[in-house]
Amino acid sequence: MAAPNLSHDPLEPLPLIEGTHTDQTINDSLLSHVLRGAGKGWWMLFGCALSMLGLLVIAISWTLYKGIGAWGNNIPVGWAFGIINFVWWIGIGHAGTLISAILLLFQQKWRTSINRFAEAMTLFAVICALLFPLLHTGRPWFAAYWLMPYPSVQRIWPQFKSPLTWDVFAVSTYFTISLLFWFLGLVPDLAALRESTKSKTKRFIYGLFAMGWRGSGRHWAEYKWAYLLLAGLSTPLVLSVHTIVSFDFATSVIPGWHTTIFPPYFVAGAVFSGFAMVMTWMIPARHFLGLKHVVTMKHLENMNKIMLVTGMLVGYGYLMEHFIAWYSGNPYEMGQFFLTRWHGPMRWIFRTMMFCNVVVPQMFWSKRLRTSIPVMWVAAILINIGMWCERFNIVVTSLHRDFLPSSWKDYSPTWVDLSLFIGTIGLFSTLFLLFLKFVPAVAVTEVKELRHELAEHDAVAGETHA
Amino acid sequence: MSCDDNHEARANDRARRSLPMVGAQNGGAAGAETGLPSRPLWRSIEERSLLGAVPGAANEFPGGASEMDGVSRRGFMQLLGVSTAIATVGAACRKPNEKIIPFVRRPEEITPGNALHFATAYALEGYTSGLLVESHEGRPTKIEGNPAHPETIGATTVTEQALILGLYDDDRAKQLRRGGDAIGWQTFLGDVKARGAKLTERGGAGLRFLTGPTTSPLLADLRRRILERFPQAKFVSYAAVAGDGAVEGSKMAFGRPLVPRHHLAPAAVILSLDADFLADGPEQTRLSREFSARREPSRDMNRLYVVEPALTVTGGMADHRLRLRGSEVGALLGSLCAMLSGRGLSALGPVGSLGHGQGSWDPKWLVALCGDLERNRGRSLVIAGRRQPPVVHALAAALNVALGNLGSTVEYGLPITTDATTGTAALGALAEDIAAGSVDTLVVTGENPVYAAPVDYKLAQLLKRVPNVIYHGLYEDETAAICNYFVPAAHVLESWGDGRATDGIVSIAQPLIAPLWGGHTEAEVLAAFVGDGDLGTHELLRRYWRGMSKLPGNLVGSFDNVWERWLADGIVPDTGAGAEAGVTINGQALAQAAAPLLARSGSGMEIAFATDPKVFDGRFANNAWLQELAHPITKLTWDNALLLSDATAKGLDLETGDIVEVTYRDRTLEAPAMIVPGHVDDAITLPLGYGRTATGHVGRGVGFNANALRTSEAPWFDRGAAISKTGKRFKFAITQDHWTMSPDGRESPPPAVSAPLAEVLNAGSMFHEELEERRGPQAVIHQPVDYSGQAYKWGMSVDLNKCTGCSACVVACQSENNIASVGKDGVGRGREMQWIRIDRYFSGPVDEPEMINQPLGCVHCETAPCEYVCPVNATVHSDEGLNEMIYNRCIGTRYCSNNCPYKVRRFNFLDYTGDISAARELGMNPEVTVRSRGVMEKCTYCVQRIERARIATRIEGRTIADGELQTACQQGCPTQAIVFGSLNDPNSKVSQLHADTRRYDLLHELGTRPRTAYLARVRNPNPELAKVD
Repeated sequence: MAAPNLSHDPLEPLPLIEGTHTDQTINDSLLSHVLRGAGKGWWMLFGCALSMLGLLVIAISWTLYKGIGAWGNNIPVGWAFGIINFVWWIGIGHAGTLISAILLLFQQKWRTSINRFAEAMTLFAVICALLFPLLHTGRPWFAAYWLMPYPSVQRIWPQFKSPLTWDVFAVSTYFTISLLFWFLGLVPDLAALRESTKSKTKRFIYGLFAMGWRGSGRHWAEYKWAYLLLAGLSTPLVLSVHTIVSFDFATSVIPGWHTTIFPPYFVAGAVFSGFAMVMTWMIPARHFLGLKHVVTMKHLENMNKIMLVTGMLVGYGYLMEHFIAWYSGNPYEMGQFFLTRWHGPMRWIFRTMMFCNVVVPQMFWSKRLRTSIPVMWVAAILINIGMWCERFNIVVTSLHRDFLPSSWKDYSPTWVDLSLFIGTIGLFSTLFLLFLKFVPAVAVTEVKELRHELAEHDAVAGETHA
Repeated sequence: MSCDDNHEARANDRARRSLPMVGAQNGGAAGAETGLPSRPLWRSIEERSLLGAVPGAANEFPGGASEMDGVSRRGFMQLLGVSTAIATVGAACRKPNEKIIPFVRRPEEITPGNALHFATAYALEGYTSGLLVESHEGRPTKIEGNPAHPETIGATTVTEQALILGLYDDDRAKQLRRGGDAIGWQTFLGDVKARGAKLTERGGAGLRFLTGPTTSPLLADLRRRILERFPQAKFVSYAAVAGDGAVEGSKMAFGRPLVPRHHLAPAAVILSLDADFLADGPEQTRLSREFSARREPSRDMNRLYVVEPALTVTGGMADHRLRLRGSEVGALLGSLCAMLSGRGLSALGPVGSLGHGQGSWDPKWLVALCGDLERNRGRSLVIAGRRQPPVVHALAAALNVALGNLGSTVEYGLPITTDATTGTAALGALAEDIAAGSVDTLVVTGENPVYAAPVDYKLAQLLKRVPNVIYHGLYEDETAAICNYFVPAAHVLESWGDGRATDGIVSIAQPLIAPLWGGHTEAEVLAAFVGDGDLGTHELLRRYWRGMSKLPGNLVGSFDNVWERWLADGIVPDTGAGAEAGVTINGQALAQAAAPLLARSGSGMEIAFATDPKVFDGRFANNAWLQELAHPITKLTWDNALLLSDATAKGLDLETGDIVEVTYRDRTLEAPAMIVPGHVDDAITLPLGYGRTATGHVGRGVGFNANALRTSEAPWFDRGAAISKTGKRFKFAITQDHWTMSPDGRESPPPAVSAPLAEVLNAGSMFHEELEERRGPQAVIHQPVDYSGQAYKWGMSVDLNKCTGCSACVVACQSENNIASVGKDGVGRGREMQWIRIDRYFSGPVDEPEMINQPLGCVHCETAPCEYVCPVNATVHSDEGLNEMIYNRCIGTRYCSNNCPYKVRRFNFLDYTGDISAARELGMNPEVTVRSRGVMEKCTYCVQRIERARIATRIEGRTIADGELQTACQQGCPTQAIVFGSLNDPNSKVSQLHADTRRYDLLHELGTRPRTAYLARVRNPNPELAKVD
């Protein structure tokens, strides 16, 4: 093999780190966006995000003041935007967990430059998602604690048969583990920031959160173990959280909900949408934050491949739903899948979903398309839209026409519904922009470690070759 | 009493706090009169200058006045508003001054619970129906039918159920006024006395009374006394929806005014000629009961033929329905007579030789009907509807007599109403008198004539020419706006009164509560003209009936005892009017009168007016329960619509929701169109009762006013309407959008099952095979819970064969269970709250649909999908199998509703009960929790009634007997389609119905094990006409 810095030999894989770097240059390049002041662009984006967040505050206040009637929900469509957004955001979080935990366990080296980013996204997405289970209840002031198994003087426990109770545990566990995992990974980088910053206040704050990290061998040893353990804990969560979310639907009797394929199909959909969301943000971020040397085309291409795979899993899910509906001969199921979804009043949402989730990812069979930045960015956004439509189909389209035609009703959202959705995007964006401003977007330590590993690997390879 | 003191103290406190505000509004005028501080209070300089800038502040509210101790009208309203609760929560302490008598339970087993029940009477169109009103601590809360009354037989109509809401309607008129000034009753009496004195000088010339139809002996007596004092005075009785055809028709047929009384028990074949007898008219409750009793599938089952232009409740129950324009019904009837005569029905005489009429019906239909009538002589019945002209009634009467139905299915008696006719003729004469300037004083006690009178009388303009108009009404309505004196009426539940049912039986109406806002009765207003205005209705009534009771052979014992028994029973015995004997047809005269009927053939679009099954003629427009009730046919709420057929709409390029302009006799009206299955082509139907411009906030501006096109010459039908599309659209609030059971072509089992009689009687038919699959045990993994050890296993059965879709159950449930109304926007969004709904499905072609109704509340599944999904255990199963809803545990995830396959759960999306008036609160059933925002609710099988019965029977050391306990929907149902009871008792009615061969479970295939079972509908088609199914 030749020198580390290769020209692009078509037989060689794309590099994980481009250019020649030392620890110092990596530190400088990856911490610089945190250390330098906020730019004009950041402020503009932050302003937009804040105004959307303002909309969220208004929408939440109005919902609490008026009641769920402020939303477009009705009978039979008892759930709509609230649950759609909940499932959508939870799903988005899954990419982060998958990247940090599963790819770590599988020792996929390419995860290092994007894991921090994706984990942050998980955290923020889960925060957005967590708004809804509470908000969508009629009496959130009771829902806030009655869902917990606490020793109530009324001696009433939550109903453990209800998937909503399972949700509480699944999602709160998910949030806790994700937070710990993300924070633990940050600790060495926070220490690096503490050392690099010139502002006294920042040094104090970063120092506080670095929790006395000195980078001793013992620290590293403990850190590695803890990280691995958390990765091990997170791994089942990737599968369990969305499985349990899917139980909200799968355990019911409603045609379009009552489906055994939901758990795997939801997990695949979650990863699918999660990666799409990571791509949506990563592509501009690597450009504007100067991270192109660590988030390379190889990363992007790998993520596109995952989207192709999960997209096809989701497509298989759609196919199976239709097949089982037909195969069971259940007239309600057949009505739901062959009539309501394709030809009912909400057919356009369904058809958009089919296009975005099944047709669009097929582009990634082509190497040219899957390595084209504009193509993948547009595709990622379309997949985000498609996955939102999928949840709309599952939640609203299934409910609005179930068994007895007498109770069928159409559904339309109100301004509050739309504001809540846009508002959570604002909340997500605000948190994300703050993250980019105050925390290294890439796991610096891990990249440095990777550089060492790669250098050593190359050195060994070179020796053998010689 | 301490509670009195408390209330008074609070009321005074309120008053003290309210007064300054009141003073500020009214300037100094009020104070000057009464000695209260006359200087207005103000909070800022701006406010102060504003006070000065409005010199006529009192005129800003024309109804305002200052007699009430320095309180303006508005302030008075406020005071009343806030202190209503105080004034009437203490109604236990404040019964009517006079003695009222609780209903003695008879028969014993039908009145459960501890609340007191009082019998009273209510007259919608003059004829009374007997009510039994439940009263909690002096507050009437629920209306049932009086089982002892011959017309109500324990059930109720939709409008009777809704009377409770009308009683507590905060929008009711509260102030007696002269012009814009509030006056007291004594002042009013003084004015009447003065006016009366003047009028007597000319023998009462110029004095006119405009009343509604009435059967009240007391009012008739007062009329007699008034006419004695004012011999030149005249009484005019007018009803917007009067059906004078019957009386006028009997004049034609029999040569004297008689009214028919129908009996369906002996009727094997019924022909309805535009008569919605199951949901309209004073006989509807009894006829519904009698009709449904003969719908049991057997060879004895009755057969109903209906001829009508627009689908009605009765038309929906028809075995054979012929859509025919209203103006062609007569021609059809003429042809029928001719055909029957041709087949040997010689009794028709000259009427039979009229010849055939022209019309668009299938001759085969007529031949089949003819055969059926002929075969069932003496057991058939021809009923003509209120909209039909006299000649149709005359021919119907002739047919009934010729078919030998007299004395069996129909009898004719003298009119019971004080005025035999209440149509436009007399009102027209009054209008002429007014126009001629010969009316000086007009006393209006009829229902809102300015709104309801034919448009060509221009009553609104005419009334302004009458120097003195005294109007007695429940609301500040269209008529109140142009009268000199307005007397707020007492609600029927606040009034003493009397009246007679269609068979003449007298009922005494007793008040359940003292008038909430000081209303007065019609009797008091009339009595004022004979100097008895301050006696009070109770005294007037007792004096009258004491006099009556002296009739020989009538009564035994002292009057007080007798009186108390009358009140307790709700009827006065031996007051029935018998049938007239010697009724013979004047064939020659009738044939002459009927001849033009056959020749007449109008052209152009037919315009037809119809009474509304909800707001009737508009008098219930401010009743939110009725406005929000889904129309039995169109499922429309909070509006009326111009109804037309699919073919007519296609011809005019119209869709449901298009606003059209109707031009008729040079008048125009804009109305939203709605396509309704089964409507006759080239015709439109305009429901009356909407488009009110002056009533309470509920009814104002709801729908369009069809009276704007209604003339005295053609109050019901006419040809020559023109329709043009305006291009504007209207959004209806409809509870059930889809017409059929499989709107998108899916092949699920029909929710509502219907089969022809032959199949039902054949034990081996497909019908029974299919139903067998829709009931009984299923393969399950878990053993279902065994309820056989429980004392009761509650269950319900709903017989689709009996349900007419009248919707009395829906309002009964709403009243019993404190169910909120959500308004048009709420219904439009799909958030109606009624716990029971009537699913209405059509099948067959859109022009000739078969209609089937399916009442559906919570079916109390034994394996309920709602229960396991609730995360907080807010909906759980009781030992006796009730699916219970624990409101205070509910956090409102709505998961239960999502997972309910029947979608019978209702959610409080908004705060529907927080801002109800203090008055309305009084009408709430204290035994049912009022639900708050964010909480799910649904049918409980009236668990409060179960518990009430349980307490009562436990005290007596026995179990609840079958039939002792009725749910509200069951009790209200005129046809007894709903039966409730314990399935653990093999002899209970509900157990037997669950074992019926027509029984099936809705969505049985889901394995929910519902406790409510349905019994399939049976059609009884004439084999000659039976369609190939």
